[in-house]
Amino acid sequence: MVRQTLRQSGTLVFGYMLSLLVVLAAWQYASSRAIVPMLLPSPFNTLKVGVGLWESGQLLSDIEASVLRIAAGFAAGCAVGLPAGLLMGSFQPVRQAFEPFLHFLRFLPALAWIPAAMMWLGTGEDAKIALLAYATIFVVTLNTMAGVAAIPRNQIRAARSFGATRWQIFLLVAVPATLSYMVAGMRLAMGNCFQTVVAAELVASDSGLGFLIFSSRRFMQTEIAYVGIAVLGTIGILTDLLFQLATKRLLRQYVLQPNH
Amino acid sequence: MSTGGVAAAMSWRNADFQFAPGTPLILKNFSLEIRPGEFFLLLGPSGCGKTTVMNIQAGFEQVVRGEVLADARAVRGPGRDRAVVFQDSDSLYSWLTALENVEFPLRVAGIAKRERREQAHKALRMVGLETHEHKYPSELSGGMKQRTQLARALVLDSPILLMDEPFAALDAQTRTILQDDLVRISMRTKRTILFITHDIAEAITLADRIGVMTAGPESAIKEIFEVTLPRPRRRGSPAFGELYDRIQAILADEVQRALRREDSL
Repeated sequence: MVRQTLRQSGTLVFGYMLSLLVVLAAWQYASSRAIVPMLLPSPFNTLKVGVGLWESGQLLSDIEASVLRIAAGFAAGCAVGLPAGLLMGSFQPVRQAFEPFLHFLRFLPALAWIPAAMMWLGTGEDAKIALLAYATIFVVTLNTMAGVAAIPRNQIRAARSFGATRWQIFLLVAVPATLSYMVAGMRLAMGNCFQTVVAAELVASDSGLGFLIFSSRRFMQTEIAYVGIAVLGTIGILTDLLFQLATKRLLRQYVLQPNH
Repeated sequence: MSTGGVAAAMSWRNADFQFAPGTPLILKNFSLEIRPGEFFLLLGPSGCGKTTVMNIQAGFEQVVRGEVLADARAVRGPGRDRAVVFQDSDSLYSWLTALENVEFPLRVAGIAKRERREQAHKALRMVGLETHEHKYPSELSGGMKQRTQLARALVLDSPILLMDEPFAALDAQTRTILQDDLVRISMRTKRTILFITHDIAEAITLADRIGVMTAGPESAIKEIFEVTLPRPRRRGSPAFGELYDRIQAILADEVQRALRREDSL
């Protein structure tokens, strides 16, 4: 059994590595054929520049800046989005009061709010974190609301027949029943944060992976942009894996139990 | 339909029900008395409103006219005096084990952990599920899920038990075992049971009395049968077959009537 699982995992990793090697080879080939090599630097050159940035300490400080912003914005967005989704899903008056605004705002990308965020919050960290929180809130709220709507009616009816109050139904049924939807919304929102952090760091910033990518244009150092893109994507994948592992470990009974 | 001077455990008097104003009446002039401690089976053609009767008795729906009583008190909403076993096991909480599911009503009632665990164990033993108490609903078979629902309904000591086709989705063998267990439990706990089914054999196997409903809309009770066959009841006996045929004839009449009505529309 263990040997079979190991063999399956090995095959999977081998598949991923093979696919990565094919992409790198194709990249290398395309860059060697590029008419203007600067437009598409080779993976080898990109790696070399990346190592240089790492050794100078700049890459690590940019990673740190972006990751801290994402963490703060994501946490703030979840802190608003999760209760908002639960309350809007569970209580009709709350839903009626806020749903029109939710649907209006969710069509506006965080990018559209950059000027307003800078005017209200300045060009410091607050504006960037607010934009990341904005990118988190709506996905989390909508998913949580969908989770509440998907609670089997009989679960609520059973609780009512046991004499549960509305508050008990909210805490003991709606919240746990919706956790898998919340987690799915949070995963999606995390992706949004990674996309938004680049936009947030393009403007009035002197640190972060978005800044690193954007600053490369000044000296036409496209390798730096590719380093920033590769690092951001890799951190994104690792964060998602970590998120899934944590979810499996901490919320096993809520997330992994199929709904009958 | 009188209970012979004893206050009825469940009582319906000329009740009408419709889902929304302007829609057809699902129940019309529905009257029924169920005696304390009785095992009452409600039988009827598909779509006649059997589940609606249970939902109203449970307090999930309200009649638009007439009255519905539980233990001589008007039913105005759900309450702990009427425990419910649903047809679908999706009423079980998927994030709780069988034991925690059975504990849930006691938790809501504010019973201390040690006491509720003790009572939940007792209820699980009663339905023969003690060895599976740490499994989640997704790890239980269909029959086990329904046993868990039954244990959860029994744990509150509610005098009334409402069961909406709880064995409908189970295979024949499991259904027979659960029917036997339910008869044993009902005799031991003396609950008043309203059990909804569309299965005539199940009704005869379980019931003290069987109420047969007319086809919908505007359903009401057409006839009530007293089942005096000795327990345990098995399908092979002539008396069982005779009663089955009588009820079958009434149901066939009702289905024909419903079809004629549909044709004339």
